[in-house]
Amino acid sequence: MKTENNDNICNDKVFSDIFKANSKTIFNYIYYKFGNEEKAHDAVQEAFVKLWENCAKVTPQKAKSFVYTVANNLYLNVIKAEKVRLKYADKTLKTTHETPEFIMEEGEFKIKLDNALNSLPENQRVTFLLNRIDGKKYKEIAEIEGVSVKAIEKRMHLALKSLREKIDGI
Amino acid sequence: MQENHLAKWLNNELSAEELSEFKNSEAYASFERIVAASGSLKGPDFDVDEALMAFRNKQTLQDPKVVQLRPYKRFLQVAAAVVILLVGSYFYVNSLDATIATQYAETKEIVLPDHSKVILNADSELSYSKKNWDANRNLNLKGEAFFKVAKGEKFTVATTDGTVSVLGTQFNVENRNDFFEVSCYEGLVSVSFNNKDYKLPAGSSFVVINGAITTTQKLDAESPSWMHSESSFKSVPLKYVFDEFQRQHNITVSTENIDTNQLYTGSFSNSDANLALQSISAPSQIKFKLEGNKVLFYAEN
Repeated sequence: MKTENNDNICNDKVFSDIFKANSKTIFNYIYYKFGNEEKAHDAVQEAFVKLWENCAKVTPQKAKSFVYTVANNLYLNVIKAEKVRLKYADKTLKTTHETPEFIMEEGEFKIKLDNALNSLPENQRVTFLLNRIDGKKYKEIAEIEGVSVKAIEKRMHLALKSLREKIDGI
Repeated sequence: MQENHLAKWLNNELSAEELSEFKNSEAYASFERIVAASGSLKGPDFDVDEALMAFRNKQTLQDPKVVQLRPYKRFLQVAAAVVILLVGSYFYVNSLDATIATQYAETKEIVLPDHSKVILNADSELSYSKKNWDANRNLNLKGEAFFKVAKGEKFTVATTDGTVSVLGTQFNVENRNDFFEVSCYEGLVSVSFNNKDYKLPAGSSFVVINGAITTTQKLDAESPSWMHSESSFKSVPLKYVFDEFQRQHNITVSTENIDTNQLYTGSFSNSDANLALQSISAPSQIKFKLEGNKVLFYAEN
């Protein structure tokens, strides 16, 4: 019973739109969690295969939380996270008019930040990075993680606090 | 200050008062630096279009798997059809009447589902419904048979000429062309002929030739003579005797200048053809010529 209805995920166009809107966030979400690109790629594929198989049952409104849930469940049993390696956007590197001292200091700071991020608890790191890198609102992160906005605010607060403690060596 | 003021601060949700208080704290500079630096971070590259293409390729690659499932599905369909056919035909065959027939020069002994015994004489046919046997013991008979009926419900033998029904007894029924004979050897038999019922006690027989009830005689034997490989007749037209001979010995009979309505009383052997021919010809004062599978009866000049 395939209808050309725009409300149906089985419709190729509707499905592609959902894919384009959510795949990158799923990818990053899984990557922030486990620091493994391959797992993140697989999670995207797996989540959308499942969505396609269930396209007749899932409404477009539910599609988003459906794919996040599938991606989440895929690695429920994976406990050990690898190191999350993040790149820095080019724009900061181009600021060459700074003094060498400043550049060196800045480099040191970034190494400290990297280490601090990797030592964060998984859920705090995911929340912090989804907000800082992907610009996701607390509400969206709450939706992805399946928890309340309050809980996300708390994680954000704790993440910032412990990042500062690690970097400043308190 | 609130428990989660750092989160609120990032979201620009702090009140002016709270903000200025936070800005005055010594940790503010560090937080600002962390937020600024983390804002310029980048995760690994992810190409959405490439991922979508990979997804589509995967889908098309998975398609053949679906095709491979089909032969199995097809096999199941065929198997289901075969099973339905088998079950259907099993029930159909079961609901059919059982039919037992004998050829020329052959007798058969049949045990019915209620252990009643039927002995079928040559060139005869018996049919009955196996399924409803307990409900109604109905038999259809063409030809001749001897019945030894087990005690129980009404037992009915239907022939084209008349119907014979009994309760536990032994009797013989013969129905060929225009000849209908019922002989009762034990118990009581009821014969319905032309909508009339005739009670037949043990030792008597009921004979109809050409639609007319000719005689009811006393029987001297305990079972029909054909069961002892002999065919016996009492005042029966010769043509029925010839028919019986033909059936018992599988020899084609032809006649020449003979009145086949002439009555015959006597018996002939069912095992010895020559002896039987003499038994028939001598009392009737006719002659015969036997050639292989054919015999010619002719009148003496």
